Amino acid sequence: MLIITMLVQTIIIVLLAPAIQGLIKNTKARLQSRRGPGYLQSYYDYAKYLRKDSVVSPTVSWLFHVAPYVYFASVVGAAALAPTVVSGEGLQLGNLFVLVYLFALGRFFLAAASLDAGSTFGGMGGSREMFISVLAEPPLMLALFIVAHSANSTSLTAMVGAAAATPVTFSAILAAVAFLIVTVAETGRIPVDNPDTHLELTMIHEGMVLEYSGRPVGLIFWASAIKQVVLILLLVNFFIPWNIAGFDSVMSNIAWMFVKVLLVALLLAGIESSTNKIRLFRVPGLMAAAGVFSILALVAQ
Amino acid sequence: MPVDQLFILVVSLFGLGCVAAFFTQGNPKVTNYISHGLAACGCLATVGLAVAVFLTGDQSLSFAWGEPIGSIKIRLDGLASFFLLTFGVVGTATSVYAIGYCREFFSRRLAQLTVLYNAFLLSIVLVLTVSQVMPFIIVWELMSVVSFFLVNHEYEKDGTTSAAYLYILMTHVGTVFIASAFLLLAVAAGSGDFELLGAGVMSETLRSIVFLCALLGFGTKAGVIPMHIWLPEAHPAAPSHVSALMSGIMLKTAIYGMCRFFLEFLGSGPEWWGQLVLVLAIISSVFGVLYALMEQDIKRLLAYSSVENIGIILLGMGAGMLFMSKGMPLLAGIAWVAALCHVFNHAVFKSLLFMGAGAVLQATHTKNMEHLGGLIKKMPYTAVCFLIGATAISGLPPLNGFVSEWLTFQALFFLPKAVVGIVGKIGAAMLIALLGLTGALAGACFVKAFGVTFLAKPRSKQSELARETSRPMIVGMGGLAVVCIAAGVWPHWLLEILQRVLPRSANVSTAGLFDSSQWYAVAFQTQQASGVLSMPMVVALVGIGLVVAYAFARAGGSPRHETGETWTCGIIPTARMEYTSTGFAEPVRRAFRSVLNPVNEVRYDRSASAYHGVKISVHVHVTHYVNELLYKPFCEAVFVFANYCKLIQAGSLQLYIGYIMAITVIVMIIGTGW
Repeated sequence: MLIITMLVQTIIIVLLAPAIQGLIKNTKARLQSRRGPGYLQSYYDYAKYLRKDSVVSPTVSWLFHVAPYVYFASVVGAAALAPTVVSGEGLQLGNLFVLVYLFALGRFFLAAASLDAGSTFGGMGGSREMFISVLAEPPLMLALFIVAHSANSTSLTAMVGAAAATPVTFSAILAAVAFLIVTVAETGRIPVDNPDTHLELTMIHEGMVLEYSGRPVGLIFWASAIKQVVLILLLVNFFIPWNIAGFDSVMSNIAWMFVKVLLVALLLAGIESSTNKIRLFRVPGLMAAAGVFSILALVAQ
Repeated sequence: MPVDQLFILVVSLFGLGCVAAFFTQGNPKVTNYISHGLAACGCLATVGLAVAVFLTGDQSLSFAWGEPIGSIKIRLDGLASFFLLTFGVVGTATSVYAIGYCREFFSRRLAQLTVLYNAFLLSIVLVLTVSQVMPFIIVWELMSVVSFFLVNHEYEKDGTTSAAYLYILMTHVGTVFIASAFLLLAVAAGSGDFELLGAGVMSETLRSIVFLCALLGFGTKAGVIPMHIWLPEAHPAAPSHVSALMSGIMLKTAIYGMCRFFLEFLGSGPEWWGQLVLVLAIISSVFGVLYALMEQDIKRLLAYSSVENIGIILLGMGAGMLFMSKGMPLLAGIAWVAALCHVFNHAVFKSLLFMGAGAVLQATHTKNMEHLGGLIKKMPYTAVCFLIGATAISGLPPLNGFVSEWLTFQALFFLPKAVVGIVGKIGAAMLIALLGLTGALAGACFVKAFGVTFLAKPRSKQSELARETSRPMIVGMGGLAVVCIAAGVWPHWLLEILQRVLPRSANVSTAGLFDSSQWYAVAFQTQQASGVLSMPMVVALVGIGLVVAYAFARAGGSPRHETGETWTCGIIPTARMEYTSTGFAEPVRRAFRSVLNPVNEVRYDRSASAYHGVKISVHVHVTHYVNELLYKPFCEAVFVFANYCKLIQAGSLQLYIGYIMAITVIVMIIGTGW
């Protein structure tokens, strides 16, 4: 049963991730008084990328070819572990630290590959991506610790269960704010990174994958969309714990989860339209703010 | 084969290795094969010894040697055997590797090197098995002295000798504290036997003094910040197979000593013991990895990363001690297992990385990463092994580093059970956050170490001319890479061993802690805590992901590549456009500038022409505050004191005779009792 649930949820997340991406792009465009691409545009883009041949630098080694696959695979692994339907029975295999470190696995390989082509832009992107991950890791751990602590377990399903069982407190709201800031940083969005820019010097994640084209870049973009959905799912299930799927009526709660994910996606688009990108060396301050929110949440718990 | 015969076999194989090197020194080729072959056999026999002890239970051997020496007692219990197992696995690999690596020493005192190498292995085995106070201190000293000569082996190179002297100085400071701790215990117990040391009655203050002495003494050997300063000097100076052994195993003998003290001799103590260890541990891990990230010398980078990993080991131990002092044996068991699991894992991947760095050093004759690059094409096997080690040390699944890091996270997560209230909660949260920070920094550090060394274009002539290393070296590295994968994908066996080896006492219990009845997961379940780790599932998930990614990429027909030069805004790319190691670390250096205090120095070289063609180079140094605030003032104080001594010690013979006269008169006056 567990395996079937995992498989089904992975397939759904992988297939729906481009739609969420499309929704965010479209909403952003509307907020900026543009018409914007259609909701399904990301599917067309990825389908096109996955049919295209790629141009590869003669400098690169096998690692450059392998890295997009590892990145995609690690993110798909994380998608399988993301808490969606809580059964509360059987072995609780999904673990918080496994999920966080699966993301780290993909990032490690992609950042290493960014150095492979030997261009300054790639190295700069890789260096900055690792820098952002260094900054985002402590507040991420702190925010998740708050939920895990009330669950007395680092199992993801147990954490969702605990979040659903306890009423929403001031502490949970603070932790949610911290986690939202981390989500923005981890998904490479304004104010930390700008996914839509086309100037190499201002890009972080996109700069890191600058040398990729064709099928590999399709995999990388798709994987980034999946990672975004997984982070949104964590946010939704830990910090908006009403109508968690699996507690009473499963079907209606799954529907609720979709609604919540869409709302958070709209919120991300709103955040992106209402702020401007900050300087790279301002990001530590932002992450420190997230850390302070988490610590306040701990004190208030 | 019975355990006692196996032990004698191990000792005699290493002894034979020493002797063989001595007698064959006329022909370095023979020395190389025979001596290192014997060392490898000895290490394999050590693995056999450890396994035999796991199967037959604890053993005590006694060797009576008649008067001046007396009888020497060897105890092979679970803890010693676990460290012997780690030693055997790593030692076998380094010995095989040494067969290839030592070819460059054929004309440079190979016989001495191999004698010392075998003696080093022997002394480590003895340190781990001897179970009386005086023999322990003697073999501990033997290990230090032998490793001093090994560090100093390449004394022609700049800085080697000063590194060796710093090492021997620091290690002796440590030995002073270790000896004091042992002697205080032995006096209280009235015996020098390890099994009776814990029985002595001591006041609480005296116990705390023994604890501090053991922590300082073994901490110096382990390289805990602020006693770490010898480590980044000595490890890079030693020949690479020795640095692998020093970092992988010798540091762990200090952890072994701490385990003996904190688990057996002292037992559980007041809460502040554990807290102190945790504070030192988190400082070591965060600063160790920060300094590692700032390094441009690949072996120094690895040495600083050892400081970090010792910190992670101590995090588990500190948590274990806190649980012990609160009487939570099962949680203490989890924490201690986490620490020992990281002992094994760090030994394996750090030795692997040092051997990889040695292969690079031998192929390119430089340790400076700014001069490396592009080696993945020249040295493909070394690159794969180094990548596996780098992935493992960054704590990434599904390799072994992740397993022990996960266990350490679990141990820290349950800390609020021992320290109730807001302090425990915030303390645990901060420790977890900082361990997460350490993990992320380690990731950045090893992306840099691997990427700058092995990827892109060669940055210098040497790395352009590099060739793959010899076969024994690849075999040695490959063996440890396989262990990295095996202990990661299938951690059951390691945890199964670990839960049996910890000494049983009222304060620590690991009996039946881990439920590994399910093939796909290891679980622990106690009244207060539970957790499941399923590494096979992680492998399966990543595997499915790879299949999906492959299917996606193939959906539109088989992929084709077209070759096109890297885009560098229209200029022909050269190696000088690549991101440098210094540049890669720049954002972190700036973000942490308050603790690193980096100094940028721009050097202009106008030697070619005073007007044009000026060569500009940028050098970045970070400030090591421990050296600046602790060791420098101390050294200055020593000099000031010495200057005052000069007042009475001016070199005049007459004056000295006068001193002797005066002292004699004073002694006579006192002696006659006025």
